[in-house]
Amino acid sequence: MKKKLSIYTLSLLFILGAMIMTACSDDSSSSSSSDDQSDSTNENDDSASKEPITLSFFSADGEEKNFDDPVAQKITEATGVTLEIDYPVGGNDETIPLMIASGDYPDMIYAKGDIGKLIEAGGVIKLDDLIEEKGDNLKAMYGDQIDRLRRDVDDPSIYTVGTYGVEGAYWSTSGTFQVQLDVLRELGYPEINTLEEYEAAITEYKEKYPEIDGQKTLGLSLLGSDWRWLITVGNPAGFAAGIPDDGQWAINDDTGEATYKFLKPEVKEYFKWLNGLNAKGLLDPESFTQTYDTYISKLSSGRVLSVADQDWDIADADKALVADGKENRTYAPLPVTIDDEYKSQGLKDYGFAGGWGIAISSTSENQERAFEFLDWMASEEAQILVNWGVEGENYDIVDGKRVMQEDDRERMNNDANYAKETGVGYYIYPFPQWGNGAVDSNGQSITPNSEQDIIDNFNEVEKEVLAEYGMDNWIEWFPKTEELGVSQHGTAANYTIEPGSDLQIIQQKADDLTEQRITQAILSEPEEFDAAWDSMLKELEEMNIEAANEAMTKLTQDTMELWGTK
Amino acid sequence: MGKSISEVSGQSNNPLFKNQVGMNKKPPINPKKKGFWKRASRQKALILMSFPFVIWLIVFKYIPIGGWLMAFQDYKPQFGMFDQEWVGLQHFKDLFQEPMFYQALENTLGMGILGLVFGTLSAITFALLLNEVRLITFKKLTQTISYLPHFVSWVIGANIVITMLAQEGVINNILVGLGLIDSPIGFMSNPDLFWGIVTVADVWKETGWNAIIYLAAMAGVDPQLYEAAKVDGASRLRQMWHITLPSIRPVIIVLLILSIGNLINIGFEKQMLLGNNVVADKALVIDLYALDYGIGMFRYSFGTAIGIFKSVISVILILICNQFAKKIGEGRVF
Repeated sequence: MKKKLSIYTLSLLFILGAMIMTACSDDSSSSSSSDDQSDSTNENDDSASKEPITLSFFSADGEEKNFDDPVAQKITEATGVTLEIDYPVGGNDETIPLMIASGDYPDMIYAKGDIGKLIEAGGVIKLDDLIEEKGDNLKAMYGDQIDRLRRDVDDPSIYTVGTYGVEGAYWSTSGTFQVQLDVLRELGYPEINTLEEYEAAITEYKEKYPEIDGQKTLGLSLLGSDWRWLITVGNPAGFAAGIPDDGQWAINDDTGEATYKFLKPEVKEYFKWLNGLNAKGLLDPESFTQTYDTYISKLSSGRVLSVADQDWDIADADKALVADGKENRTYAPLPVTIDDEYKSQGLKDYGFAGGWGIAISSTSENQERAFEFLDWMASEEAQILVNWGVEGENYDIVDGKRVMQEDDRERMNNDANYAKETGVGYYIYPFPQWGNGAVDSNGQSITPNSEQDIIDNFNEVEKEVLAEYGMDNWIEWFPKTEELGVSQHGTAANYTIEPGSDLQIIQQKADDLTEQRITQAILSEPEEFDAAWDSMLKELEEMNIEAANEAMTKLTQDTMELWGTK
Repeated sequence: MGKSISEVSGQSNNPLFKNQVGMNKKPPINPKKKGFWKRASRQKALILMSFPFVIWLIVFKYIPIGGWLMAFQDYKPQFGMFDQEWVGLQHFKDLFQEPMFYQALENTLGMGILGLVFGTLSAITFALLLNEVRLITFKKLTQTISYLPHFVSWVIGANIVITMLAQEGVINNILVGLGLIDSPIGFMSNPDLFWGIVTVADVWKETGWNAIIYLAAMAGVDPQLYEAAKVDGASRLRQMWHITLPSIRPVIIVLLILSIGNLINIGFEKQMLLGNNVVADKALVIDLYALDYGIGMFRYSFGTAIGIFKSVISVILILICNQFAKKIGEGRVF
């Protein structure tokens, strides 16, 4: 009897609950659909596509920001579009999978490497037809590079636009090994091309100045506690070994053959060197435990002699140093490799990378408007606006040429918040962009950057050191872009790997493993390094890294076929 | 997932529900329908009041269990629940063949047990001490200060811990300054210390908060017992040992059972925020593994399989403890 009661009650409750829920959901869906209808009729009535509209946009590289700066206002004026930018909180990798699980998509999505998941889940639409019909600006911008946007051989459709400049000029490295200008100056401007010379320079300077501004001098500081492990530990190993940047892969550009980078003996050489550096007390002991904030504050204090980092990662420290008048503590990029056998790939041209970009969601009610917006961003008018800002406010036209206003130029270089506050330069990435070196219809550079600008913007000490070396720009001591050739396969870091595939799972496991094991190997006693490394190789073998190599090779070769570069 | 545990606790937290069941247990005088309806109508107010909770339980705790089906499919979110490819126990096989999973399990249970033991001990000790304080203002102040860390998020809490334990952090500075050690200790880069650091951080953060419930239980102890003990010449410590602790024993047991059931659900915030690549071997916990290798890689089914596994472990643990409590004749959960 007791049992019966519970079943009765349960079924009663079930029905009750179901009724309540259906009633609620009915309500909401009917009201929203009527809203939509009124919206779309409005749109149809009004022929102008500048009807004010708010588009939601998720950017995997976004940050908290309102779309209300002067440049944003101009964008809204021109297109009627106001962006509502959503961003991952605290570097959350799970945003896209959760988005898919809930089926709740913003109008536009910049998912980076997660785009494959969205395509598979049917969360984003194909853009081919839209580009054909009304994508004149995009077509003009991409030209024959448009094939590089296509997904893969099996599904050669375009799902995304944007992210990287179609054209690229290599006036600066994005950064690799960098050393304080003061080190170069104090040591009488030595040539530093190999790890050996690099280490000697740091050692000598550190002996001379065991303390900087009352704090202990640190030879080399890395940031190996979070995802930046790859930036400051994993990638520099490849750079030192002269391997072009393909994420965790080393790819033969002719054959498309891919190898998991950490299997390579020359990569081991680099880590062995780091291990030695650690044993000699030149490596910051907190390299693998400090947080990003600690790292930046150390760099900003000027007591870290060298870094193996990207410019964008240390930009805040650089600006802080300049603001404190410690220009001599800012960093110079070095073409360092293991030895003379290897060429630094700092100026390598990977070609237009395609792959990642902004997609339009399948559930968006404003797909056309979203596409028109993206197409407009590729127009000359838009590119000038996002790159230069507002005429009369951020730049003037002098003798028919755009010239950045003095205070803007100043702030652009020294104020970390400039782009965010004014919007100048803020909306270039990840939207469709022409890229450095591209010219407008008057033959002027579309970006405020030119090699001369970069040279003009070096700080005083930088100029002084460059002059001593008899150079105008740091890139002069790197192997030239032409010499290195253009990559036939783009870069594997931008490939979309099928979610849930063996390649993805093995690579994830291998990445997790190498991050731990290499870190432990670096911190171990020098005589234990080889054993630690060998046991890591064995573990990699056990997780079937060979299968991942083969899958990556196939992916690379397919990409080359798709792009017609094979 | 871990539904089962919340079901249980949901039930026990709901006195109305419990009451009803208790009533039903009484042998009815007239075992006919009439008697039942009579009793039901007498209790209709109670039954009505319990309705919202029962509905809540069904909607949020039972219906989602349907999602377990995913673990036996190759779930792709673009298709409906029943248009999926069924793969049987494939995901469980994958899971049990994965060395990382066992590592995660070991770490989870290890840190779970440490947290449970030291968390409970510190909370009870703290509550006992606080209970003896006679100066009300001081007591309140101490209590407030002690549970403040509970309201600090782990993101901030972990940063405080990392900063304090850094090579140039406060702790090392003090130790070196006192001459206890020659060179700074790399607390955060020693895998052997990681479990300990997590436990200490947890104790720091939660002791005050966890002590509240014990304090409340102690407040309910009959003052006459203390008076009688005093007359018999029992010291403060004796009173604690012979009166306070035995009086709150049922509370301690019930809370222990509940938290043992949650042993495997220790979350991953602490481990993720305090961990780094050097100590990753010791910091990998099941939830983090499920996140990185399940949802994070779009493998919903695999993630669900992990969730089911966790639920099963929880149920087993709680059944064992409950049985144990029954044996020693203490308050049980069910």
